[in-house]
Amino acid sequence: MAFEALISSILLWFGIYSILSLSLNVEYGYGGIPNFGKALAVLVGAFTAGAIVNRILIAMYSIEGATITQRSGFMKSTVDSIIASNPAYGIGLLTLTLLLAGVVGAVIGALYILPSAKLESDYLAITLLAIAEIMFMIAYYNTDLIGGYYGAPVPDVLAFIPGEMREWAFVALILFMTLVTYLFLERTLNSPYGRLLRAMREDPVALQFSGKDIMWIRIKTLAFSSAIASMAGVLYSFYAGNVVGVVNLFARVNWTFFPFLMVLLGGMSNNRGVLAGVLSFVVIWRLLDGYKHEIAELLNLPFDVNWLQYIIFGTLMIAILYYKPEGILREKPIETEPIKELKTKHSEKV
Amino acid sequence: MGVLEGAVIYANLLTLLAIGLTLTYITTSVPNFAQGSFAIFSSYIAYVIYKLFNFSPYFSIPFAVLFGGFIGVITYLLVLKPLIKREASILILMIATLAWDLILLGMIGIFSESLSKYFGAYISRFIFPYYLDFKIAGIQGIFFSSTFAIVLSLGFLMFLLYKTKFGIAMRASMENPSLAEIMGINVETTRLFSWFLSGAFAGLAGALLPFKQEIVQATGQIIIVSIFAASIVGGLSSIYGAIFGGYLVGLSESLITFWLSKIFGTSVLVYSKAVSLAILVITLLLIPGGLVTIKWRRYIWRSRH
Repeated sequence: MAFEALISSILLWFGIYSILSLSLNVEYGYGGIPNFGKALAVLVGAFTAGAIVNRILIAMYSIEGATITQRSGFMKSTVDSIIASNPAYGIGLLTLTLLLAGVVGAVIGALYILPSAKLESDYLAITLLAIAEIMFMIAYYNTDLIGGYYGAPVPDVLAFIPGEMREWAFVALILFMTLVTYLFLERTLNSPYGRLLRAMREDPVALQFSGKDIMWIRIKTLAFSSAIASMAGVLYSFYAGNVVGVVNLFARVNWTFFPFLMVLLGGMSNNRGVLAGVLSFVVIWRLLDGYKHEIAELLNLPFDVNWLQYIIFGTLMIAILYYKPEGILREKPIETEPIKELKTKHSEKV
Repeated sequence: MGVLEGAVIYANLLTLLAIGLTLTYITTSVPNFAQGSFAIFSSYIAYVIYKLFNFSPYFSIPFAVLFGGFIGVITYLLVLKPLIKREASILILMIATLAWDLILLGMIGIFSESLSKYFGAYISRFIFPYYLDFKIAGIQGIFFSSTFAIVLSLGFLMFLLYKTKFGIAMRASMENPSLAEIMGINVETTRLFSWFLSGAFAGLAGALLPFKQEIVQATGQIIIVSIFAASIVGGLSSIYGAIFGGYLVGLSESLITFWLSKIFGTSVLVYSKAVSLAILVITLLLIPGGLVTIKWRRYIWRSRH
């Protein structure tokens, strides 16, 4: 594997997984909501791109075809050629899809957390996992919805950029979105809202006594974080050019387990820690994946290195839980404006 | 294989797995996400032993059971016990079993692919073909053997729990671990034993499952959702609940999808797992404690008056 391709894949996955893990950090790290169905929000993103926006475009250009996969393929070639000569169209399509995914993600996220009114802890986690699994099963086996296991091609929103530059353009786009997400979340969470979430994680009953509606906080939080995570789903689908990377049976590992691993590795409820966790994970993961044939040859392994990867990441997770439950970077106090003022005053005095 | 026959076989095996899940939940209060992989790893062991000796697949059962029990014990000693000692929360323990499941999946993959090379045959995906099974009155032997397996396992479990001193100790440590400890019961031993039993039941189910369906490396990841549905529908903290839930979910997964396929066409057949997941979600929302917590007597009393 070329070195350049390795670097671009590391940066790309760092971006995608950062957005996803930061959004999981809002739910689990700050809010203590065990969202074991994180993958669902990513599916919502892929669904918005592959099932909603695709259908709109197919209707716009009145494209005929036997299946949604075929129609999307024809539509993609039409739309790609338009984007190639008209960059504004591509950027507009991207923005529109992201906004739409944000809205759909927020609605689905808000509905999806409703069971938490009656359930908590392990029961809630199992329920959320089950809901996500049902949705994935339907999306995967029903080929009329979003192509199922055949997948559905989505337009290349950066088709106006020449072939060899496209990969890097996508990397730049995704890293830009990651930066925006990070700054936005830093700002949102270093506020009374962040403190509210932590209070809910530590002691929901005490929070209720101070007159807060826990259910409402949960609904708002899940709507907010799912909207962000669905944007990650959209970005990945557009990058891959097909939704098949999201809609598959490994979703539980790729889109739920790995983000949990990264959040716990980096440090719960610390956004900078989460970024560190994502970077360490992605570097190991991409190196293993990029050099898997070389590793297999070198060690004369009679099996696919992917299996070894599962063992390594599983072991890494257990090791973190056991040796370093606080992660790479520890949780820090929330810095709201008044606290910042106090701190500067304090340092002036000293 | 008739539909009803297949449904009963599946329900028998699912019940075995659900009992295992419930057993460890009661003693350790960890919902074990690796239960499905316990069974599938044992399936591969059973298949390899069958390949080696070329005898009846039934011959591999004891090995699969012991192997399942072995993984169960390892899971507790290596993964959960150290974390429990550190007072990890139940969610952390759940994440640990998810991670362990991933490790087991990796091991299953390595094991099956390495042996494929060794045997010079593709063993990553297999089934015990019907001609390896015996037949009584035109019905496949697996129908009887799976029923026999569940009756035997339940008989053993009930005998152990209600007729032996160790069983009393086990029940005591399930009910109230700290009180049991004060009374001089070694709660660690009972926990360890429950993990052995849970793994052994999974091993038994795993050795029989290839008669019913094709096994691939990820079958454990797929079947785990049904096991959870079965355990939770009955009530995660009751063995009787697991038996009840196992049959309810096992039978409805096969039969409901079969009836639906008659109405909507065969394309619904792939959603069989969605049926069990839907049952799971509905139960959790309406009766989180499971069916065993419903006070049936109250309804009987009402209908009389």
